[in-house]
Amino acid sequence: MLELDMRSGRPIYEQLVYQFKRLIIEGVMEVDEKLPSVRDLAGELTVNPNTIQKAYRELEAQGYIYSVKGRGSFVQQRADESSTMKVKELKEKTIPMLREAFYLGMTEAELEEIIREARGGSNDD
Amino acid sequence: MMIEAANIRKKFQAETVIEDVSLSVRKGSVYGLLGSNGAGKTTLLRMLAGILKANRGSVHIDGQPVFENNAVKERVIFLQDDLYFFSQYTPKQMAAFYKETYASWDEERYTSLKQMLGLDENKKINKLSKGMKRQVAFWLALSSKPDVMILDEPFDGLDAVVRKTIKSMMLQDVAEREMTVIISSHNLKEVEDICDYIGILHKGTILLERDIDDLKEEFHKVQVAFRKGKEPVTDSLSLVHKEKRGSVYIYILRGNKEEIEDHFLSQEPVVFDQLTLTLEEIFIYEMRRVGYAEEDII
Repeated sequence: MLELDMRSGRPIYEQLVYQFKRLIIEGVMEVDEKLPSVRDLAGELTVNPNTIQKAYRELEAQGYIYSVKGRGSFVQQRADESSTMKVKELKEKTIPMLREAFYLGMTEAELEEIIREARGGSNDD
Repeated sequence: MMIEAANIRKKFQAETVIEDVSLSVRKGSVYGLLGSNGAGKTTLLRMLAGILKANRGSVHIDGQPVFENNAVKERVIFLQDDLYFFSQYTPKQMAAFYKETYASWDEERYTSLKQMLGLDENKKINKLSKGMKRQVAFWLALSSKPDVMILDEPFDGLDAVVRKTIKSMMLQDVAEREMTVIISSHNLKEVEDICDYIGILHKGTILLERDIDDLKEEFHKVQVAFRKGKEPVTDSLSLVHKEKRGSVYIYILRGNKEEIEDHFLSQEPVVFDQLTLTLEEIFIYEMRRVGYAEEDII
């Protein structure tokens, strides 16, 4: 379920935060579902438990999970924020593509045409 | 602090092996001690384990001086590089001996590890291969459930599966009981997954001591290109390394990721990518910064 790149310069806890967020946003992990215990995950991934703790703290700070003393961490109910996250992610992906399009000499009008197409022509007369 | 060494020095006759080392390991931390062969790792670890007395300075474990202190040693397992066993003994006989020494001995774990590692407890240890001896050493160590593990090049000669089993059980102990581990290696790759802190020992001194995540967050690698091969402005950035490939500039920088990103994007590049930097690369650049050529160290 979790895929870590140990050799990457990206901190392991950041990779964990990112991957759990995706699992939560995409609904693979459901609201109130229990996250693996720090001990189990450390053993399974052979990752330092402090690193996992750090990831869980970060996820909690960002409102993705909540913890119950003595019972563990659980997926938090999230209202609109998850879609906000997705929108932000999409924006990050779209901008470089648009830049490339401009670079290749496409005009705004041409891009608007593409947007209309994507919308399925619902705005056309 | 669980393990605390302050200004220790060790000389053997005329040769100074440990010049002046201070280090501290938090409770529940896994500290990776890196260094080339001959850097002094084994000598340092033997002092931390209380087997060797420093000529100067002090070593404490959980606030107690370690040298010849049995109360402390009962809470510490030291796995030496050259494993020593009473040659005629079997693992079972060794286990009986450990059980008496370590009050925290866990019989259940001894039995489950026997199955996991698939070892024969009735075979004389000196009849086993080097790798199997090492497994026996871990088998006994993990069953003793010590508060502190001091490990000198512990994974040498172990295959990937056994390594994973052992690392995994160690980390569970770190998570569950805040066991503290200090582990030496000449190979960063061997220990980087399990450590949260790394120190580099070179010629008897600690050159660098850092939290792994802090280190990773501090260094960034980007590639940038501008129209007409224009060179980007980098004045305000902390540049570690610069390289030009065709019209693409590759930079390694220290600092805040967002600030670096903003800095380049505001100059409207045609290409801007964040590249991944391995921990090894980071160490190489950090070593260069403190004035060492990487080849003698990592």
